[in-house]
Amino acid sequence: MTECPRCHTPLEASDLRCSICALAVAREADGGAGPSGLRARILRCRECAAAVSYSAAAQAPQCGFCGAVMEVEQPDDPIEAAQWLVPFSVDHEGAARALRAWLGSRGWFRPRDLSAAAAIHTMRPLHWSAWVFDADASVTWAADSDMGSGRSAWAPHAGSAGFEWRGILIPASRGLREPETARLAPGYAMDRAVPIAQAGQPLEGGAIEAFDVQRSAARRRIADAIESMAVADLQARGHIPGRRFRNVHASVLLSRLVTRRFVLPAWVAAYRYRGAVYRTIVHGQEPSIVLGEAPISWSKVALLVGLALAVLLVILLLVGTR
Amino acid sequence: MVVDRGPTTSPAAATLQCGECGAALVLGEYRTAVCPYCASPTVVERPSAPGRPNPVFVLPFTVTQERARELVRAWSRRRRWFHRSLEGARVDDMRGVYVPACLYSAITSATYRAEIGENYTVTESYTTTVNGKTVTRTRTRTVTEWRDLEGPHAAYATDLVVTASRGLPNAELERIEPFDLRALRRYSPALVSGWLVEEPSLGVAECTELARGEAVGLEEARLARFMPGDSHRDLRFDVQLRDETIDPILVPVWVLAVRPRADQPAMRVVCNGQSGEAWGPERISPAKIVLWIAAALLLVAIGVLIAMAGAR
Repeated sequence: MTECPRCHTPLEASDLRCSICALAVAREADGGAGPSGLRARILRCRECAAAVSYSAAAQAPQCGFCGAVMEVEQPDDPIEAAQWLVPFSVDHEGAARALRAWLGSRGWFRPRDLSAAAAIHTMRPLHWSAWVFDADASVTWAADSDMGSGRSAWAPHAGSAGFEWRGILIPASRGLREPETARLAPGYAMDRAVPIAQAGQPLEGGAIEAFDVQRSAARRRIADAIESMAVADLQARGHIPGRRFRNVHASVLLSRLVTRRFVLPAWVAAYRYRGAVYRTIVHGQEPSIVLGEAPISWSKVALLVGLALAVLLVILLLVGTR
Repeated sequence: MVVDRGPTTSPAAATLQCGECGAALVLGEYRTAVCPYCASPTVVERPSAPGRPNPVFVLPFTVTQERARELVRAWSRRRRWFHRSLEGARVDDMRGVYVPACLYSAITSATYRAEIGENYTVTESYTTTVNGKTVTRTRTRTVTEWRDLEGPHAAYATDLVVTASRGLPNAELERIEPFDLRALRRYSPALVSGWLVEEPSLGVAECTELARGEAVGLEEARLARFMPGDSHRDLRFDVQLRDETIDPILVPVWVLAVRPRADQPAMRVVCNGQSGEAWGPERISPAKIVLWIAAALLLVAIGVLIAMAGAR
């Protein structure tokens, strides 16, 4: 894989320009003109050998006589495909145990019989899609913060910072929601990933989620995510002085952006409790990470509210009698 | 194919023989030719020269000639209230031209200095008269505190397209931009066969200067959005452009020579061959303006008359 000479980002096959800094990729070999200097060329139809012109309607060179269309090199914008698969290390039984344990530890407001009465409805293995990137970035920023403020609550500040991001995960999943992927992401052992071609058959009933997005759209999403992350990191890592911030603007000069496409394991489960179905997700490698919905015991809530009201009443009576 | 360069080395002097019927074709300022006898489209390939590099990319035409005509008519109709109408105008010529242009990118490193306005509110009391009595009230007023700020700003400036043709000035090309650069193809004679491909008439140095101007303008717009605070003023900046690259490209433009009336000179309307954005010189019609003012005055007069009649 070659890299862009300007920003050192690896270039994908068939890239015409670098996706980060837009540097044109040099043509491999220039067939060009002959030794005589000028060379005139008539393009001929492969069907009838008549001369061919480019047609705006067909958006390809087309023969005016027989209508045959010549294929030309198209900009390659393929649908993103997974390169790496992180395998499951929690099997079906382990996931079911983890779910039961999670149901039993939902706290006092949940029904007491939740763990015992809940029936696991479905439990399917899913590999959800995500991009993982490494990048270096030189970030210049300007923002308002409370540091050095005068009569106004805000004062302007500006500066620059360097970031080296490694193994940052950006979810591409449509099936899982953003807060769910954020909870799942830290639990994966990415070093156990295997090339997708060597991953073998998925687990029974399992699915590998497609990225469902073209390369150009994926790059935009990654760039947007990096910019949002730069704004968050500037505040979280103390680059901007002060404790409260607003109008945080960051300009990100990326280099060495390496993006890998992963699919990550999770068990998507649904359980039934008293006629209603609730959705949960069990991490595919770390069974202590379970997230999802659980019913609330409204009788316990009513009991607590009643108790609180009774206590309040007693206090009022005591105060009133004094 | 025989190529006869003629007595001079100017590209305008180059002639070539049609490979189909043998007719001699003069290339002029174009790198393509269509034989008038057998309609064979010819594309000339020549080695890249320092002052005359070959195109690297092409943005192919997607707007057909019929569609371009419709778009120009629609553009003309949108301007009919104040401008001379092109309805019924004679379209002298309509040509799809691959216009030589340059695609520029660079890293912009700027340092800036500005005054940033941070707002705060003050509560002040004032006296007013209510029902004949003087009362004191309070109100809040927004005041701006101005603070100096200086800092750096660095970004990639990409996708800047400037003309490389003296025939189509950059200001005119800007009117029909933007081009969707996602449709960029690597230059191949197959993509331009049968169309006019103009040779660059501006040198790389001139194009670079044009592009640098656009890059500085882009940086200025970015800095204005970059400023914190509730407002800013007196923004000054110094920008360095580094790691510049400039690539010759061909962009698709429909050029229409339109003659509004037989006794008037032809005007040129250009249409983006990819997005269909059309533009031509604005020709205000004094007669229409007078008519609009007269109509407005008439409406005012009618209104005044009705008001006077109602007051009686």
